[in-house]
Amino acid sequence: MWRTVARKEVLANLLSYRFYVVILLAAVLVGTSLFVMARDYKARLADYDLVKPGPGEPIAVNPPNPLSIFAKGLDEAMARSFEAGPTGIAVRAGQKSGNSIFAFFPTPDLLYIVRVVLSLVALLFGFDQINREKEDGTLRLVLANPVPRGAVLLGKWLGNFVSLAVPFLIVTALGVAVLALDPAIGFPPGGIVRLVLILALTLLYIAFFLSLGLLVSALTRRASSSLVILLFAWVLLVFVLPNLGTLVARQAVDVPSVRALSEKRQQIWTREVLLRIRGEGDWPSHVKAISAENDALEADYRVKFDRLVRLARSINRVSPTAGFVYAATEIAGTGLGEESALKKEVIRYKNGLLDRTLASPDPGVADHPAFRYAYRPLDRVLAEGALFDAGWLAAAAVLLFALSYLAFVRYDVR
Amino acid sequence: MFGTIVRKEILGHILSFRFVVTLALLLVVVPVTTFVLTNDTLRRVSDASLRRAELETYMRTYAHFNRIGGVLQAAMPPIPFHALVRGLSAEVNLAEFDNDPLPVMFPLVDLVFVVTILMSLAALIFAYDSVSGEKEDGTLKLMLANDLPRPVVILAKIAGGGVSLLVPFLMSLTVGLLVVLVHPGVGWGGTDWAALGLVALGAVLYVMLFYALGVFLSARHHASSASIMTSLLVWVLAVLVVPNLSPYVASFLAPTPSRIQIEREAQRLGDTERDDLGRKLQTEAMRPLLVRYPVLAENLSESDQKRLVERDPAVREAFEARRKAVSEAWDEANRIQSEKIVAIMGAAAKKEEAQTGLSRTISMISPLATFTYLATDLSSTGMRNEAYFGRLRGVWDRAFGDYSRRKLAELQARDPATDWWNTAVDMSDRPRFEYREEPIGGRVQAALPEFLLLLGYGLVFFALAYVSFLRYDVR
Repeated sequence: MWRTVARKEVLANLLSYRFYVVILLAAVLVGTSLFVMARDYKARLADYDLVKPGPGEPIAVNPPNPLSIFAKGLDEAMARSFEAGPTGIAVRAGQKSGNSIFAFFPTPDLLYIVRVVLSLVALLFGFDQINREKEDGTLRLVLANPVPRGAVLLGKWLGNFVSLAVPFLIVTALGVAVLALDPAIGFPPGGIVRLVLILALTLLYIAFFLSLGLLVSALTRRASSSLVILLFAWVLLVFVLPNLGTLVARQAVDVPSVRALSEKRQQIWTREVLLRIRGEGDWPSHVKAISAENDALEADYRVKFDRLVRLARSINRVSPTAGFVYAATEIAGTGLGEESALKKEVIRYKNGLLDRTLASPDPGVADHPAFRYAYRPLDRVLAEGALFDAGWLAAAAVLLFALSYLAFVRYDVR
Repeated sequence: MFGTIVRKEILGHILSFRFVVTLALLLVVVPVTTFVLTNDTLRRVSDASLRRAELETYMRTYAHFNRIGGVLQAAMPPIPFHALVRGLSAEVNLAEFDNDPLPVMFPLVDLVFVVTILMSLAALIFAYDSVSGEKEDGTLKLMLANDLPRPVVILAKIAGGGVSLLVPFLMSLTVGLLVVLVHPGVGWGGTDWAALGLVALGAVLYVMLFYALGVFLSARHHASSASIMTSLLVWVLAVLVVPNLSPYVASFLAPTPSRIQIEREAQRLGDTERDDLGRKLQTEAMRPLLVRYPVLAENLSESDQKRLVERDPAVREAFEARRKAVSEAWDEANRIQSEKIVAIMGAAAKKEEAQTGLSRTISMISPLATFTYLATDLSSTGMRNEAYFGRLRGVWDRAFGDYSRRKLAELQARDPATDWWNTAVDMSDRPRFEYREEPIGGRVQAALPEFLLLLGYGLVFFALAYVSFLRYDVR
């Protein structure tokens, strides 16, 4: 029975104005986003080719991640060049820093389109499923037949989910196929698996908002009131909660400001050089002191920052949007966890370098090994939170659907 | 007649469900956001004063001339307006190893967010059925069956709807300001209030333009379900997509050279290429000297050199001439190379500026971007303030440079034997960097185009709504 309802929903959607507006919007946005972000990726790849260290150069640069086309996350920060020297790590950022308009608005990657636009679209598919049919009087007619209410609800959910997910997947698959044909963009072997996981996560995310729409629709008598409620709920879930959560976490965890850290590093370096010139101690001991103090600062910052991230994460998880962003960026290898792991590697690289330089009798000739960062394997990424976020998203979607079932069973169709 | 319809619109909205939800949401989001941002600003204030104190302590022991420039860097203090508008203050800081990636993942919520996202959405929710909804209900027919000119109806609709939308916003803003007021540590002054008034005026223009847009789209449709779809489509594009795409489009149209490449090139020009050029110039300068003073060609040990110079004035003259030639050659090499560096850096900066300008222009198609620039420039949290801060830093850099030269000359005159460049000295009388916000006049002038643009958008949408309503089939 639910199949008939689902079929009817898909057909009704295909004929509706809303479907065309929404699908056109999604298609244009996904296409534009992939095009723009692929260009951005290629520009950063060109940057990488410029700074790619020659043999023996003590520079740690991680090439830009091709999955950043879909979820840019922190890839900009991760693809910087870290020049390891005896006195610390000199950082060079990419060309973005010249144009501050980039800093004003979030990156329009696929993740953003899904997070903001697709969630809204899912709500627009769900908001009037029940109350509009009640207003039109068709709900009465449907339920006058021997149809269980559960089957009606499931059919509605599935029909709308399919009419939303299928066009999205087709557009995305087309986009990915075009990208895959581009010789400049080489997806790593595991990249496709990660991409499929991100798309699966996207479907869960859409499912959550569709269920939310269905629930509110089953709780209200008029489509216009459910729309108002849902739009405001959407603003709260997608924008306010995740972003405010980070700020609230900042109130609880005292993390030194980036500025304070950079000033401290300058002070340490200047002090040790001055002491050396004054003739107190030899240069290697000063170098060791600088490195040790910088590492202590970094370690302290990391501990506090990790605590901040953990707290922010826990608070933000109130909103499934945050969980979605965390999980998708971690799977893409552009998330907070990956960035932190990369930095740890860079520090290890610098320290190894320092040890060799100090041990070598002729410091000019020391040949440095190349830096290579291996992304965390997928199972570790999943174990370190991505799976939890995905599970939470799925659980929330199922819970909302169950609640809408409860509401619909008690719904007065007259 | 106009008054009656305005009154009816206001009452209709106030009694509506959406008004209650909007009011409740604003009354929660604005004060909570302000509270959190105020606390964050206070934290930054204490961080800044702590850093200042640490620097003073440090300078008492380690102040010297050679490398202190790295330690004494002009820093932007927290700005009181950060309690409401964050602008570009997020410390992402990609130039440092310890950057803060959180704002990249989750952009901050502030007053600009409330106005640009929340209020524009609310405006469309209030307006989407103002014409099409009344048509569906059949009340539009009834209304126009009376002796009522359509221009009066549409004017009154926009005025009444706008007022009922702005009242909750201004109420929540007032509550938010109370939060700022009970924290005197934030340090709000008269200029901030003036700037806030202007930002609020910009917000009113912004909200009204979206309301007019909503009425226009409503008058283009005959079913409110269709008008809400179109409204949301337009909203998503104008508010959530165009601004975000604009810098990417601009970088496509006006590409800039990679910063990394420029830095590398500058380093090469100032390092290896300078050395090559210096050596070449030195050899060229030495050639006539070697002919004139054959003694310079002899391979003398340092002690022999010293002995000869002391004994023979002619040899002394030769070595003096060599020292001068070498120093001139290297000065020339440095001058030529630094000119080259300045040229490539300047060319790159010009291109970056052009790209930024283009991004800004493109993004201003979106009222969201226009209002964002207006609010951040007026509140000293945006691009204009960054440029202004850069100028202040330049002034201070020069002042500190003058101070260093004067002080160094004084010390050297007193004791020429010491290497003052690398000796700890008392610098307690050095000029300190003081940031003072740009006077409001300049900021207002800078925000004027944005004001006019918002007004222009508003008038265009109003005119469109007016025309569409005049031609609207009310049956």
